[in-house]
Amino acid sequence: MFDVLWKLKWFFKENWLRYTTAVVLLFIANILEIIPPWLIGVAIDAIAQEQLTAELMWQYIAVLAVALVLAYLINFVWQYQLFGGAYVIERQLRSSLMGHFLKMTPTFYEKNRTGDLMARATNDLKAISETAGFGILTLVDSTLYMATIIIAMGMLVSWELTFLAMIPLPILAIIVQMLGKKIHVRYMEAQEAFGDMNDSVLESVGGVRVIRAYVQERASEQQFADMTDDVYEKNMAVERIDALFAPVTKVLTSISYMIGLGYGAFLVAEGVMSLGDLVAFNVYLGMIVWPMFAIGELINILQRGNASLDRVNETLDYPEDVTDPKEPAKTGRPERIGFKDFSFTYPQSSSINLQGINLSMNSGQTLGIVGKTGSGKSTFVKQLMREYPTGQGSILMNGIELKKLTKDQLRSWVGYVPQDHVLFSRTIRENILFGKSDASEEELIDALRLSYFEKDLALLPSGLDTLVGEKGVALSGGQKQRISIARALIKDPEILILDDSLSAVDAKTEARIIENIQAERSGKTTIITTHRLSAVKHADWIVVLDDGKIIEEGTHDDLLKANGWYNEQFLRQQIEEV
Amino acid sequence: MGTGKRLVQYAMNFKSVLISGLVMLAIAVAADLAAPLIAKEIIDNHIAVSDGTVNFEPIAYLLALFFALAIVTAIFRYWQSILLQKGANRIIRKMRNDVYEHTQTLPIRYFDNLPAGKVVARITNDTEAIRDLFVTVLSQFATSFMYMGGIYIALFYLDWKMAAMTLVLIPLLYVWMLIYRKYAARYNHIVREKVSEMNAMINESIQGMTIIQAFRREHQMKDEFVELNDEHYKYQKKLLVLEGAASYNLVGVLRSMTFILFVWYFGGASMSGNTVVTVGVLYAFIDYIIRLFNPINGIVNQFGRLEQALVAAERVFRLLDQSGEPVVDKKIARYQGNVRFEKVWFAYKEKEYVLKDISFEAKQGETVALVGHTGSGKSSIMNLLFRFYDVSEGGITIDGINVNDMPRQSVREHMGIVLQDPYLFSGTIESNVTLGDERITRQMVIDALAAVGGERVLNHLPKGIDEPVVEKGSTLSSGQRQLVSFARALAFDPAILILDEATSNIDTETEEIIQHAMDVLKKGRTTFIIAHRLSTIKNADRILVLEKGEIAEAGSHEELMKLGGTYFQMYKIQSGMSQTQSVG
Repeated sequence: MFDVLWKLKWFFKENWLRYTTAVVLLFIANILEIIPPWLIGVAIDAIAQEQLTAELMWQYIAVLAVALVLAYLINFVWQYQLFGGAYVIERQLRSSLMGHFLKMTPTFYEKNRTGDLMARATNDLKAISETAGFGILTLVDSTLYMATIIIAMGMLVSWELTFLAMIPLPILAIIVQMLGKKIHVRYMEAQEAFGDMNDSVLESVGGVRVIRAYVQERASEQQFADMTDDVYEKNMAVERIDALFAPVTKVLTSISYMIGLGYGAFLVAEGVMSLGDLVAFNVYLGMIVWPMFAIGELINILQRGNASLDRVNETLDYPEDVTDPKEPAKTGRPERIGFKDFSFTYPQSSSINLQGINLSMNSGQTLGIVGKTGSGKSTFVKQLMREYPTGQGSILMNGIELKKLTKDQLRSWVGYVPQDHVLFSRTIRENILFGKSDASEEELIDALRLSYFEKDLALLPSGLDTLVGEKGVALSGGQKQRISIARALIKDPEILILDDSLSAVDAKTEARIIENIQAERSGKTTIITTHRLSAVKHADWIVVLDDGKIIEEGTHDDLLKANGWYNEQFLRQQIEEV
Repeated sequence: MGTGKRLVQYAMNFKSVLISGLVMLAIAVAADLAAPLIAKEIIDNHIAVSDGTVNFEPIAYLLALFFALAIVTAIFRYWQSILLQKGANRIIRKMRNDVYEHTQTLPIRYFDNLPAGKVVARITNDTEAIRDLFVTVLSQFATSFMYMGGIYIALFYLDWKMAAMTLVLIPLLYVWMLIYRKYAARYNHIVREKVSEMNAMINESIQGMTIIQAFRREHQMKDEFVELNDEHYKYQKKLLVLEGAASYNLVGVLRSMTFILFVWYFGGASMSGNTVVTVGVLYAFIDYIIRLFNPINGIVNQFGRLEQALVAAERVFRLLDQSGEPVVDKKIARYQGNVRFEKVWFAYKEKEYVLKDISFEAKQGETVALVGHTGSGKSSIMNLLFRFYDVSEGGITIDGINVNDMPRQSVREHMGIVLQDPYLFSGTIESNVTLGDERITRQMVIDALAAVGGERVLNHLPKGIDEPVVEKGSTLSSGQRQLVSFARALAFDPAILILDEATSNIDTETEEIIQHAMDVLKKGRTTFIIAHRLSTIKNADRILVLEKGEIAEAGSHEELMKLGGTYFQMYKIQSGMSQTQSVG
């Protein structure tokens, strides 16, 4: 159970001064708490024995007042330090998580659902933060504070009585420990249920148009109600254990009180201790209730913190699927790109997704990739982008293995326009500048012109400063695609990759954009995947993929002559269009 | 109505559970608070009186009673805690379901203007914060107040003057609570806001990760995130200062002051010799005073949470207050599908019309194609037809009935759509076709998939139509996703079919399969197609050419070709491009 603190060792080391200050001051504050009961015991004795004088009384009051002020100040400082630490770790881990997400490639996001990752960045972080703050408080209170009170009881009242009254404590500790174990398991389940619920809501909000279009509101509500039922059941399972802590503690502390009163009465009768001592002793016993509860709380918090830390660490420890080489090779601008006997299979896939690919192209050339849905066009591009670990055989840049280059170097050359247009909830300007943050106004205007977006801009309410809704909902698919293209073009990349990214623009716009790209990108490489052959017929080389294999390749004219799939498709598109 | 009141209203739905919980609590509190009185009895009557000899028998009886009370307390506290937790969790379950149900009634506009992450935060995270509130309010606050009430009764019973003096605490606490709340509320608001912004950012970054990485913007995103995170931290710390100075700590001060008052009052009384105070009374008094501050601490410790929960509740209620249109369950008979647009004007934002004076008609079984450059208003027509949005002026009728006179659900009941972004839910291929609708049988799913050429999808998948689909169907290619979404449209057997740029992601071969399926399907159905390739719509009964929200040309392919206008130009470009290529 205490592993969580061990696992957080690095953090406590980093913040040793903060935590030392907090714990030391907390300890002093605890000692200050011992004073009032003792003083009151003395005062009661004085009252009972009718020995109280005005002077004595004011002395007591003065001591109490000084203790009050000191306690207030010290309490403030340790609280600030200790809970401040909780916020520090929360901030730190949150940034680390985000940093890690930014390093992860698609494989990771296929394995982990977004909602679940979100839950880790929110609820789990909260639980860890609680461990580093309130958890430490309960730890100190259930150990140091408890010891302080026990010593006070022993020294100021009676060791014998203290020892006897303490007997039930270890039993409590054992029961609390056992309950804690159970809670751990159930809490994990509850968290998971919450994560699932989060996921399902995220999906149905994202797919709200589909749900509405098919009038599936009720089905969707039912599905959500099942989720909330599950969350409810899991939460109640936690509570059924949680609710045991207080009663168990109550019964066991009562035994302590019984011993205190019963044996205390005997000791008073014996004349070993005074009535004031007995009162003070019982006050101390009362004070020890909190540290005993603190054990329960501590277990609780540590369990929760442990479960959450494991989940967060699991994410943070997930190694990059696509790593940079330890000693990266360096090369200048990519003059030659080559594929040699290249094959690739997705981690979860049972069939081979790319097979025996041999290709070579020089800078300045345009490569067209065509083929049926699922033939491997996107896989080809994703391999070039290193979104997945590289397959067998080799991809060569200037004769150097792609995996010997850093991803950063590779990506510095590439301008990528994906199939699914991804835009961020920012202005159109910011979205385009995503391609090149220090681009000048001229470059921006140029990119807009090349991607044929100027006219649309005039129709948008705030022009370039129009806010794109999340995932660009308010814009049409074609507009989104062209913003994506502008984003890639503004970079003026050595290698431009259009992954079926003209599908939502009409033929005229497509033609204009292709023309622009041809005209502006002399000497630079362009790779286009598409279904529409019109988008690649100008290409220097066209490959036809089928089931991950190149079944035909050549120039447009070569392929027409070859009388194969390409020719057939081309004729079909011809016939359809004429 | 205030947030607090509405929360109470929610709680009232579960009156019986909550009340029985509170009754249990009352019994537990009474049993618990009787303990100091027993101690007093032991001290005053069996220890203090004795002169060296103590009679242990009555003490033993009293101690047995003491223990019995502890057992009673324990049992009732357990059940109280279970019942109140049950109540709190049920309230939240209901609230979640209500919020979710309400989001189903909100106009699409709401979702278009608000990032999905924020909507989700309302439904899950904010309600989770409110769960905290109910759990603490019900368990902690109820317990605390009941204890305080019981303790005051006991104090008055012991010594009414001293008890009366300690009553000063109550207005003090109240005023302090007001002041504290005022400041805490503000900081909490900011803290929560930042959390929600950070979550939205994480969510969006995950969605757009490939782009962030492709453009090497990891650092920029991280910096922006860190900035938010720091801002969040800054306000957390401000809140901490406030809490350190004015919460738990201040309770300690109040307790010490009560002790001072205690010494002064009983010390003074003893010195004046007017009243005889027994040690037992002093003991009980001290015990009660200490117990009095435990519940206060309990309350104060939860203030932060309470604030957060209230802020969260405010936001949840704001969402619930968004006026929506209730989902109508009434099924209507299948309409024929005669669609008419009459002088339709439409603007997403006031006065910025994206559709201007659109009139056309589509009779049952006809196919109407919409052509135009991006942004010409094609998608808006679909949005109106589905009543995702409503017309600004003019009207749309189906079979002569104005769609605005029909519930939205009825309008959509016999419509099918294939959206630009084929959206898949996690589940299986089958569940993505049926969408959980029980009317769609497994056989219908298989047939629909077959009709759209879905064997292409299934052949690659080991489990066929039971193949699991992950979030957004990201393991399927977009063409495959399109096929699934196509099968979905077919399975629902709509009277009106809408294909919104649907064929653009499908290669020619696949498209041919679909074209064939569509020809079969179109029979008896009114079909609207938005496509960029004019080839797909050549056989349409009517082609509407849209330009900047207006119908520039309308007619059949042949008519429009003869007209020699925009359509002719567009067609020439498309076929011309192919022509030059085949020549050269």
